Amino acid sequence: MNHPQNNREENRNVEVWEDLVYIKELVLSIVICSVTTLGGYFIAPDESSQPLFYGLTGALLGFIIASILIKPKRIFNEVEGEDV
Amino acid sequence: MMDPMLVLQMVLAAVIAATLYTIIGVAPGTDETAVLAPVTLVLVLAGFEPIVILTFFISAIIAKKLTDSIPVAIAGIPGGVMSAPMVEHALVLKKHGMPDLSIRKMASGSVIGTLIGVPVSLLLANALAPLADEIKAFADPIFFIGAIFLALMSKNRWIALVSIIPLALLIQGLRHLYWGVGIVPEDTNVFISFFLGITIGPVILTLFELLNHDKRVSLPRYGKKEIFLKKSAQQKGFPNPFKILTKMEVGISSLTSFVGTITFFLSPVGMTILLGETVSSGVKDPVKRASRAISSMDALTNAAYIGGTLIPLIALGIPLSPTAIGPANALFNAPPVYSLEHNLHHILSTADFVWATLIGAAVALLITYFVTVKYALPICKFVFRKVPHEAMLGLLFALVLMLAYMDAGWLNIGGVLLIGLVAGFLHRLGVHYGVQFMTLYAAPWIVNNLFL
Repeated sequence: MNHPQNNREENRNVEVWEDLVYIKELVLSIVICSVTTLGGYFIAPDESSQPLFYGLTGALLGFIIASILIKPKRIFNEVEGEDV
Repeated sequence: MMDPMLVLQMVLAAVIAATLYTIIGVAPGTDETAVLAPVTLVLVLAGFEPIVILTFFISAIIAKKLTDSIPVAIAGIPGGVMSAPMVEHALVLKKHGMPDLSIRKMASGSVIGTLIGVPVSLLLANALAPLADEIKAFADPIFFIGAIFLALMSKNRWIALVSIIPLALLIQGLRHLYWGVGIVPEDTNVFISFFLGITIGPVILTLFELLNHDKRVSLPRYGKKEIFLKKSAQQKGFPNPFKILTKMEVGISSLTSFVGTITFFLSPVGMTILLGETVSSGVKDPVKRASRAISSMDALTNAAYIGGTLIPLIALGIPLSPTAIGPANALFNAPPVYSLEHNLHHILSTADFVWATLIGAAVALLITYFVTVKYALPICKFVFRKVPHEAMLGLLFALVLMLAYMDAGWLNIGGVLLIGLVAGFLHRLGVHYGVQFMTLYAAPWIVNNLFL
């Protein structure tokens, strides 16, 4: 987990809930997901559970958009052979 | 005979749950309550058939418990709170170049846990049912006693004990405020959003800290998280858990599953550490010890989750186990759809419970076990490469926002942030979720009856 000496990317990530995030992108993701979710909730026809469905769809949409825009802060090293 | 359309819906729900939670299970740092409770809540509020929701939930917990051991085995990162005790042993296997063995042993342990957990839970629930009325008559004080019990059982017992009454006051204080202002009718207890506020409390506290300039600057910074993966040969044919585990491991996993199911009211993580270490400590060879530990631990967590959900649900209808009060909470209490007087316990028959459990478990095992054992590495790579942690946090935050608004309008978003701040701070001081959720249930009784 402690690999601050990475040359390719400046050290700008912080740890939130067991994984690394970049603060600006975290804010972006929260804004995107909140807008799509609440947006879905409010444009839905006002009957029984419709707002909830639209809201949930909005949430999923936001999640997908955020996943496309933001790159995970993880690097893979694939190792062949015995010791890892 | 059941309606074929309903059976089709149940199978479909189980397939969706197994697929969704196979992906979520692999993602690192996904707390069980945080990923299971909100989705289940939304399905309940959306008005799905109770039996379909139970099928979904059973399939989801089994899939999640099967797959959250994958990142442990491959990268030494726990996929959830419950898999944390296994990290040490999985690292032993990884060091010996056997992460794939690790996955097969853990997943097979999960299968044993499910096969033992389901029938034992159903039998024990029926045995306990005659006592239900007596237990239910004391439900309110039982939640208070439960909070004290869980506090005393936890590592930081004194802070947990001291925090019960202040937290209850905060919860009731907000409810009375909402009644006073008139945004919530006086016979309605705001519940769901407070529950979620507690769940994502640790994240809310961290987000607030990020808003403080000094705190933000002083936080440790990292580059990227480096994860080492070892290429391994692919498994051929359909995997058989009874061949992957040795006879001894099957026996011991069955035993820990049985104990884990009947101790459903205790902390699953605590039992996992206690029993897993006990059954494996005598083994000399490090590889054999590690594989016995992880198979028996994974079996136990699975069985404890199934028991913790089904036994209180079938026998009592009130959430008296750490699993029931956390991840499975929406099956017991999700106003306005379910309440403690009207939930799955009251709606479903014994046959319904059996069918939902069997279909959920069978679909999850078939899909997830097969996929886990055969494609663990590609799944892990996909999730780690494509799903940013930011998106997971954003999704959770947005769901909480929506449910907070639904409960009591815009003002409640502030209320949920307040609860999240306090709960997150208490969490950091060592007051775990179980104590806080029990307090949420006990709050009305503590405030109205304890000192009067």
